[in-house]
Amino acid sequence: MTKKNKSAVQRRLIPNYIFLTIVSFISVFPFYWMISAATNESIDVARGKITIGTHFIENFTNLVTQQNLWGAMWNSLFYTVVQTVIALFICSLAGFGFELYHTKGKDILFSILLLAMMVPGVATMIPLFKMMASAGLLNTVWGFILPSISTPFLVMFFRQNSRNFPPETMEAARMDGLSEFGIYFRMYMPMMKSTYAAAAVITFMNTWNSYLWPKVVLTSTDAQTMPMLIANLSSGYNIDYGVLMMAVLFCSLPTMIVFFVLQKQFTEGMTGAVK
Amino acid sequence: MNRKAVAVLLSGAMICSLGASFTASAEESDSHTLTVYAWDASFNIPALEAAALDYQTNVDPDFVLDIVEQSGSSDIETLITNVASAGESAYDQLPDIVLFQDHYFEQYLTNYPDVWQNVDDADIVWDNFAEEKLSFSTIDGVHYGVPVDGGTCIAAYRVDLLEEAGYTIDDLTGITWSEFIDIGEAVYNATGKYLLCFNSDGNDLIYIMLQEEGVSQFQDGEPYISENETLVEVVNLIVEMVQRNVLSLSNSWDDYTNTQIQGDQVAGVINGNWIIPTIQNVSENAGLWEITSLPTLSGEEGYASNGGSSLYITANCQDVDLAKDFLAYTFGGGSYEETGTSITYDNALTNGGVVTTYAPAGESDVYSQGVAYWNDTAIYQQIAAMTTEVTPVEQSAYHYTVREYLGAAIVNILNGSDTESELASAEEQIRFAMGL
Amino acid sequence: MKKKKRFGLLTKQSIAGWVWLTPATVLIAIMSFYPMVQAFITSLKTGSSANMQWAEPILYNYTRMFKDQTFMRSVGNTFFYLIIQVPIMLVLAMLLAQLLNNKDLKFKGVFRTCVFLPCAMSLVSYSVIFKSLFATEGLINTVLVNLGILQTGYNFLGNSGSAKIVIIIALIWRWTGYNMVFFLAGLQTIEYSVYEAAKIDGANSWKTFWGITVPLLKPTIVMTAIMSINGTLQLFDESVNLTNGGPAFSTITMSHYIYNNAFGTGVANFGYASAMSFFIFILVAILSMIQMKVGDTRD
Repeated sequence: MTKKNKSAVQRRLIPNYIFLTIVSFISVFPFYWMISAATNESIDVARGKITIGTHFIENFTNLVTQQNLWGAMWNSLFYTVVQTVIALFICSLAGFGFELYHTKGKDILFSILLLAMMVPGVATMIPLFKMMASAGLLNTVWGFILPSISTPFLVMFFRQNSRNFPPETMEAARMDGLSEFGIYFRMYMPMMKSTYAAAAVITFMNTWNSYLWPKVVLTSTDAQTMPMLIANLSSGYNIDYGVLMMAVLFCSLPTMIVFFVLQKQFTEGMTGAVK
Repeated sequence: MNRKAVAVLLSGAMICSLGASFTASAEESDSHTLTVYAWDASFNIPALEAAALDYQTNVDPDFVLDIVEQSGSSDIETLITNVASAGESAYDQLPDIVLFQDHYFEQYLTNYPDVWQNVDDADIVWDNFAEEKLSFSTIDGVHYGVPVDGGTCIAAYRVDLLEEAGYTIDDLTGITWSEFIDIGEAVYNATGKYLLCFNSDGNDLIYIMLQEEGVSQFQDGEPYISENETLVEVVNLIVEMVQRNVLSLSNSWDDYTNTQIQGDQVAGVINGNWIIPTIQNVSENAGLWEITSLPTLSGEEGYASNGGSSLYITANCQDVDLAKDFLAYTFGGGSYEETGTSITYDNALTNGGVVTTYAPAGESDVYSQGVAYWNDTAIYQQIAAMTTEVTPVEQSAYHYTVREYLGAAIVNILNGSDTESELASAEEQIRFAMGL
Repeated sequence: MKKKKRFGLLTKQSIAGWVWLTPATVLIAIMSFYPMVQAFITSLKTGSSANMQWAEPILYNYTRMFKDQTFMRSVGNTFFYLIIQVPIMLVLAMLLAQLLNNKDLKFKGVFRTCVFLPCAMSLVSYSVIFKSLFATEGLINTVLVNLGILQTGYNFLGNSGSAKIVIIIALIWRWTGYNMVFFLAGLQTIEYSVYEAAKIDGANSWKTFWGITVPLLKPTIVMTAIMSINGTLQLFDESVNLTNGGPAFSTITMSHYIYNNAFGTGVANFGYASAMSFFIFILVAILSMIQMKVGDTRD
């Protein structure tokens, strides 16, 4: 392609650039607002002050003294990591089994499992709470994560991506004497790396951000998570918006870091690529 | 991630969860400790800290009151609902004592009788408390709760802004609501500030204005709305207040406290006296506020109460005698009778602005001192005096249901709907919600 | 001998297949289906949640909801969000994916990251942010007043029409990027030569979008549509945290009303709440079924 041709192509793309820039600006602006609000006094935030202020340190100190920030950060991180690791293991195993094993009746089973996707969260909350209470799992990591370890969405996601896993290699591996679990562990897992990355990003975000269920199952303040801490700050009797936004900022950091770190694998994983 | 890492993570998780349940059970066996769930760090929590200090100083130096702060009253209500619904196996999730909103208690006792333990035999002279206050925590003659604050309503005004419009606080004392509206309009025209503000749809105001007249939203256990002439008059007045720029309604609670009151948009506030710390947060306006009684329909001085709370012992309390003794000695007035002063009530007032309904405590020196923020007037003495004037009205487990639907009716009327049909439809929906 | 061994191998594989499915299946059965059965039983009962009785008549809770004006209002609101928000969001997501799929486009990664970023923010956090942005004294109003578009700040969240629109804007902001990623993934499977051929045939980009991209993306569209419909019918956080269902129930969603009946204003009416949840379940199931049928027949 000649140079002239190239610049002509770019010229034709100008409307695209403008549109994408506007959309990107709208997408990112609330993040800027969050950061700038975290550096301002409560009253300035309420009045819509847009520029970066000087109250960053003060808001941070207030947040740390008023709320157990590090405790909530640790709880959220701990629950989320445990949840992500176990969910990925169990759902990928199921996706692997559904797609690559010719088990009788698996398609009927799969459709039944998909039905669970339509079960509304509010409906099962009450019975689940009763189950967790009688099992003594309230205020524990298990009480929090058990209901969402195995989700039809994640099973479906792994199943669809497993279509790109060549079945011939499985036969070859069996000839070489690799056990069935060996195939999963030594071949499937490494080859599906980017699928795992995408699933990890989604699971991490969902777990980190979940609010309704933890509010019900984690009754002790020692067990509270970041979204719960934010809800506490925003429903108090005297709300300091600066401190609130500081907490919102802290709550958003881990998910953003995870996304940035795994971004490349995430996009690959979403397209179902096999590495 | 390799298998080893997974194993480490899993066992780590298990150890942590084991640890968590271990510490929880260790606390139970201590007979010098009580756990209490409460909300509002600037109001109720200082009152509880005061009570803990009282009991430590005068009764048991080893006593520890473990105060666990909740984000709001609804956290405790949800906790009780969940635990009671899950059954006895979940009762260990409850603390020994909870702070509970007065208006909700009757309903929660009716629905979940097993969750509560009564305090009828606690060493408390009940006659020392205001009758209206006790009407919430006493069900069928049995005492369940020990009162903390009164929720007595105050009308607080910015005297400097009144002056700008040519009025004094005396002009706002003992007036009719119509006169109040005229003054409010003048204040708005002179200063651009509203004489009154309320959260969302003004449903608090309906309750307050009715209570002053001794009228309830209920009659013989059924909603009393469209036939209730006083209520219709009150609703019409509220609509007029909004239309004539006297009353500003905000979208949410934090809009009310942060934008309207602390954002300096108003010249007056009417609510339970627990609103005082919120007003005081704006230090620039120190010395500019004063309080008085409320306007009424007839022009007499008006008294009402909105939203106090009391302490209740739960079924999970292992040492009920300790809990009763603690409550009776502190909020029940035991220390006042024994020593002549109540550390609980004195400190609750100075640190949290909590005004009791326990009459003898109101005679303490702390109450008669002038408060700098309030132009050196002795507001707490005023409030304590007003507390005795509040008359009880018929209460119902569906208190907040009625508020919600009446509030919605007000919003619709303000948007142009007809008052009569809106109130009729509100009544219909309330009856529906009550299963009538 | 050889045959027997082959058979043994297959059985071993079949067993292994079942073993892989078991943990996920058992968990879904215990954590979704069993509670759902419990909820159904509860939906046939009335009374305080600590002491429930069989309803009289047995379907009392189900007939009750159709007479409940507030619940019907919440159904109307939810469908309003669904009908307005889901199509706008999906078309926007597809459009963005299409633009980002252009191989001549520069800064692709930057744009993609920006558009996806909103998904990283928790529902509680973004409600807090949108609430402050659209407050009467908030930033949006300040900007509009300074630009001379408005005289004084408009109470966006205090008026029923604008409050609904703020919720829709918030939803589009939060979820467009998420759906875009699925479309982007779908687009990568379409050969570039298909577009080259269309260009030679003289199709403009609008025609290519509707004529080629949309039909080829059908499986992805069906999947994202099911997810979005499902999500919107269960909408909860925005209604609670942005507007608290107000003013006068004009923004309340079905899930929010159900939550209020179960845990809200003190009336722990689990029976009625469960019955209403079943109503949502049936709605979601029907709509998903229609979606899948539509997706199938066109292929």
